[in-house]
Amino acid sequence: MARALYYLYRALLGAPATFLAWFRERWEKMDLFDESHVAEARTNPWFTLGGMWYWVWMLVIISGVVLMIYYVPVTDQAYHSIERIQFNWRWGPVPIGGMVRGLHKYGADAFIILATMRVYRMWFTGEYKQGNEFSFIIALLLLIVGMYSGLTGYLLIWNQRALWATKVMATFPTYLDQNPAWLPGGALINWTNQGKTTAQILLGGTSIGPATVTRFYAFHFMLSFIPMVFFELRVYRRGFKRMNLSHWSKLAVFGIILAIAIMVPAALGSPANPEVTPNPILSDWYFLAMYQFLKLQDPYLATVLTVSIPFLVLGSMFLDRRPERAWGQRQIFNWIGIGGLIYFVVFSFLILNGIADIHRDAPIWYYTMGLFLLIGYGQDWAYVMARDGKRWYQTFHGFFVAFILVAMSANTLYHYFGDIRERNILAKEAMPRVLAQLQAVNPAAISDQAFDWLEKNRPAMNLWLTSHTGPDKPPGMELWRVHVALWLLIIAAGTVVGLVRWGARQEALAQAAAAKAKPKAKAV
Amino acid sequence: MQENQRRLFLKTVTSLPILGGAVLAVSAILRYFKPTAMGGPAGLVAPPDQAGSADQPVAALSELTKPWDFKDFIYIRQSVEYSSRKVQGAKIPGFVVRLPDAQADPKDPKTKYLVVQRICPHLGCTFNFVKDPNELAGSYNYNPPAPTHPYFACPCHLSVYDPTRKQEAPLIGPLPGKVVSGPAPRPPRTMSFDIKDGQIVITGTEGGGVG
Repeated sequence: MARALYYLYRALLGAPATFLAWFRERWEKMDLFDESHVAEARTNPWFTLGGMWYWVWMLVIISGVVLMIYYVPVTDQAYHSIERIQFNWRWGPVPIGGMVRGLHKYGADAFIILATMRVYRMWFTGEYKQGNEFSFIIALLLLIVGMYSGLTGYLLIWNQRALWATKVMATFPTYLDQNPAWLPGGALINWTNQGKTTAQILLGGTSIGPATVTRFYAFHFMLSFIPMVFFELRVYRRGFKRMNLSHWSKLAVFGIILAIAIMVPAALGSPANPEVTPNPILSDWYFLAMYQFLKLQDPYLATVLTVSIPFLVLGSMFLDRRPERAWGQRQIFNWIGIGGLIYFVVFSFLILNGIADIHRDAPIWYYTMGLFLLIGYGQDWAYVMARDGKRWYQTFHGFFVAFILVAMSANTLYHYFGDIRERNILAKEAMPRVLAQLQAVNPAAISDQAFDWLEKNRPAMNLWLTSHTGPDKPPGMELWRVHVALWLLIIAAGTVVGLVRWGARQEALAQAAAAKAKPKAKAV
Repeated sequence: MQENQRRLFLKTVTSLPILGGAVLAVSAILRYFKPTAMGGPAGLVAPPDQAGSADQPVAALSELTKPWDFKDFIYIRQSVEYSSRKVQGAKIPGFVVRLPDAQADPKDPKTKYLVVQRICPHLGCTFNFVKDPNELAGSYNYNPPAPTHPYFACPCHLSVYDPTRKQEAPLIGPLPGKVVSGPAPRPPRTMSFDIKDGQIVITGTEGGGVG
């Protein structure tokens, strides 16, 4: 342990220089739009995604500039100005307005599809390895920028979907003011009211008002245009070809988007009405899965998790440190990608059809998430065993598996035995019987009284108290505390063991270096 | 030597305004971290933010005679705004619900009425008053236990509130409208009201929420 700490200290001393060298190498290798994959693109269409992506981005910006001429970014005129652009599109005040708007909208959709496909290509082929981390980070960052540009874009129409998406989006940051007391610095952030201030900046006031659409217009423009300026600067300095794409391919992409724009005119929805939330109300397609995700849990947690998705992706990228890039040799990471894709598709499907059961489903999703990781880990375990010719117990990562198992059980228990009475499966099953007995005595008895009775007379059902403890309830054994303690224990033990092993490896390396250096010294 | 000192003087003289400008720019950013809207114990927005709003009558008692009669209304909440008008009116939708007599205190006529803001405390959509249990089960993913009664239900993320039951809201105390389904963290925001000349008159609102 002491040796390990010594090597850690030395590594920390050298960290700035190491980081600078690391950064420089990756900055040089950074690939923005597959411009360094010219040879691959000739035979493999997956490598034309970058060029197509950039081409679509240009189309969107050009059509957006045309729309700018006619669009009025003021809350009470936005919808009508778009109506004016969309209809009368042949002879009206805006020639081919509907077509240009369709090009803009479907171009933006294509941008997000291509960006997603490219991120997945890079993920599944391990393209971020061998010093290409920055290319992946840029690809992911541009996907997120594209999604936010899309969000701020569909808000500009100021129809019902836009209004309610704006409300949800502006309410999100207010949860920044509701950090739990145990979080370090949480109370300070709560005191400064960052969340409310951010919401006010987004809305241009304390509520949705005349300035709101103007603000979103500025955000939309900024998000779409500024990354392109940076990209053009890099093209100018490095002098590579912008789009690794033949003119015919460009024409084909343009033709497909234009054909869709003409055949399926971009939707307009009904004008925003702050008094009625339509039922159902849906976001644009790329946010549907996250929308469904929000229904399943506490909003503070949901906000934190939603914001941390990209960071989790980047974090797991940095965990994939082996040099292997072949499909069968990095199964955990494949399963992370497959899992993400499955959740995206299934959640979107569920919300579109309105068939999810939010009381039943959450533990299933948590379970499958752990299951994907365990399957991936099992395959990886087998691979490493075969690769290194070792026995099964020599390559087993007990801490990792324990961590996942604890996570799976925590979420399942939380959902099935939670103290919130209507969500507690045991209480829900027992309630009708209790109600029948109560009604035998008093015909006016209601379910609420049955739940009360259960709470008083069957305390075992509340053994697994989760988060809520009122004045009428003893704090008891709070499940999440037990699980957090278990987690921290596993993480601490894993860190110590890992550190000791790392120290031993450093020691061996140092000894090998010394043994190499010795004969040289003698020769001199 | 002389030369160097002159240089130093010139450099100092030119850098002072630049530094001053930098400090000003940074202070504008730092200002962002100074609280404006105060989140008091009740989540109420403190006076600097909330300009006084006049009392607004929203419903006549004659409209709310039977149990579970309800009326939706819009209350205009004024808040300070940096515009030529100085204030901006936010439309706060609300519900008045006539509760069954069993729920009310016979001595206090105000307890017969429940007045809440319709802005969902989850993520700000406007929730509905749903009387049909089949609609609750079909559209809001909640099967109310029998005997059933109307609920507040939000179409966005399917939060359902029970107007007959109370729930502890953090830092505020028990409020009517217990969350019985969905992700909402607390019961609906409240409005204070009086009964004057056979009218329900709104006298104030709880802060927070995007209007």
